[in-house]
Amino acid sequence: MIVLTILISTITLSAPLILAALGGYTSERSGIINIGLEGKMLMAACVTSLAAAAFNNAVMGALCGIGSATLLSLLHWLLTQKFSLDHIISGMAINAIAMGGTNFLDRAFTDTERTSGVPVLPSLTLKLGSGATFPISIYLILAFLLPGLLALYIRRSRAGLRLLAVGNDPDKSRLMGVRPLRVRLVAALATGLFTGLAGAMILSNVGRFTNEMTAGRGYIALAALILGGWRPLQAMLACITFGLFEAIQIQLQGTNVLGAKIPSEAWSALPYLVTVIALAGFIGKSRAPLGLGKP
Amino acid sequence: MEAFQGLIKGSLGSPAAIAGTLRETTPLLIAGIAVFFALRAGLFNIGVEGQLTVGACACAFVVLKIPGPFGIVLGTIAGMVAGGLWAMPAGLIKAYRGGHEVITTIMLNNVAGLFTLALVSGPMKDPTQEGTTTANIAESSHLPAVYDQNSLTISLALVFGLVGAIYLAGWFKRTVAGYEVRAVGANPTAAAVAGISAKNVIVRAMTTSGMIAGFAGAMQVLAFEHRFYGGFSPGYGFDALGVALLAGQSAFGLIPSSLLFGILAKGGTAIQIYGVPKGITTVILGVLIVVAAAIRYRKAKAVES
Repeated sequence: MIVLTILISTITLSAPLILAALGGYTSERSGIINIGLEGKMLMAACVTSLAAAAFNNAVMGALCGIGSATLLSLLHWLLTQKFSLDHIISGMAINAIAMGGTNFLDRAFTDTERTSGVPVLPSLTLKLGSGATFPISIYLILAFLLPGLLALYIRRSRAGLRLLAVGNDPDKSRLMGVRPLRVRLVAALATGLFTGLAGAMILSNVGRFTNEMTAGRGYIALAALILGGWRPLQAMLACITFGLFEAIQIQLQGTNVLGAKIPSEAWSALPYLVTVIALAGFIGKSRAPLGLGKP
Repeated sequence: MEAFQGLIKGSLGSPAAIAGTLRETTPLLIAGIAVFFALRAGLFNIGVEGQLTVGACACAFVVLKIPGPFGIVLGTIAGMVAGGLWAMPAGLIKAYRGGHEVITTIMLNNVAGLFTLALVSGPMKDPTQEGTTTANIAESSHLPAVYDQNSLTISLALVFGLVGAIYLAGWFKRTVAGYEVRAVGANPTAAAVAGISAKNVIVRAMTTSGMIAGFAGAMQVLAFEHRFYGGFSPGYGFDALGVALLAGQSAFGLIPSSLLFGILAKGGTAIQIYGVPKGITTVILGVLIVVAAAIRYRKAKAVES
């Protein structure tokens, strides 16, 4: 029973991480360092909530959320590619704008009268044995289908190979007649789509926006991407591992280990600690796209 | 416009408002020095938030046990050591594993917040109080003010920050260690060719930055808050990033830029009564970072061509 519960929540918790990691993948493979996944997810979660409430329509909510993440992604493209701003500084600025902006939007536009959650996309609830339920949403299906499809597409299609080429050596790509800025623009749009889906999923799991509700998942997704060697399927596995630790953490809250009472904060810190230890234990640098951060 | 007037009036309109602005400026200045130091070595220390928090917690722990001037000194040292130790793993991972410091420091921020919250909910909690807070530190452990008249208070902590910024500007220019940090920040490969161990400098710069952040936390406890509590820093570490990026090339620049952020922080609180949410100041911060970086980029380009 407990194993089944942990399994189900691992799948549910790792799905937004996977979607965000795919956003990081398209961006970083094209050569744009993307520290701003967190901000895009947060903005998408906030806008999804506000739009779903305003239109009273879950689809409109998700579309607006994805749109907002795409706008931030385009801003990042504009700042790093057109204005040659440092990629990290631009990413941090986007995170700051998202953090403050969502706080502002949430205060200014949230209907305080509303007591129920906003409309979210319906999900299919599987009833498993011993009373466990497994909600399968469209986001969940996408999260587990997209990595494979994306890996295939990038490896097999002309556009995908161009993306890899631009990310590995922008100068040579230029000589071959590929325009890095244009390829990166498409990559930035894809990043907006994936991080938007991730944010919309986080919102739809809860049903209402709260400040900083993404809680650092954008950074964890980025760490997963690095650990997966900037490859979609491997990054998905890393995300599932982080999801597992988060599921274990939630399950073990309030239990005793070897007779000692562990404070709940110690369990909450577990996923973050695992991220740091994972980065300390694995070398990911050698597999990074060679043109990462180059103009 | 009314909101802008409110912002200025709320931050500079009266001696009490100025005192409040300077109080906000102090942690931003010291934490800004911490971010600036790492930035010179090419490191983005987003972890100042966490390092400041553990520094403040360690300082409060020591000062609650040992009151008086001796406790102040020991507490400050404890804060610096805690902040330095909290930053060191990020430096080590960056230097020897290539893991980006932005991710590790942000993860460590979350751990720092939860870790100190666990401490003030358990062993360090003042049993006589409801919230997650320690007891107040003794009167004899308060850091004295250098000026205190007509409700205008200037704390010794601000003086430390000012002296620190001025000293650091000279340190980077005139010492070998300062030159090494700048060389690694400018080009690690070239620095290695010149015989500087880039790995060593990265670890030392990160640890030093953490120590300065821990000092900022200790000053918050000794000079202003007089206790430690859960959720201690309202985002000083992140604002400090803006302070450092806006300061430009010289540590002197930290003084006006921290004052600007101090005005924004104090005035931002004041204009909340006009219905302007505080989040808008964070948006301004993001925009300021972009503008500052863009201006610096223009300058660098002008030098190149």
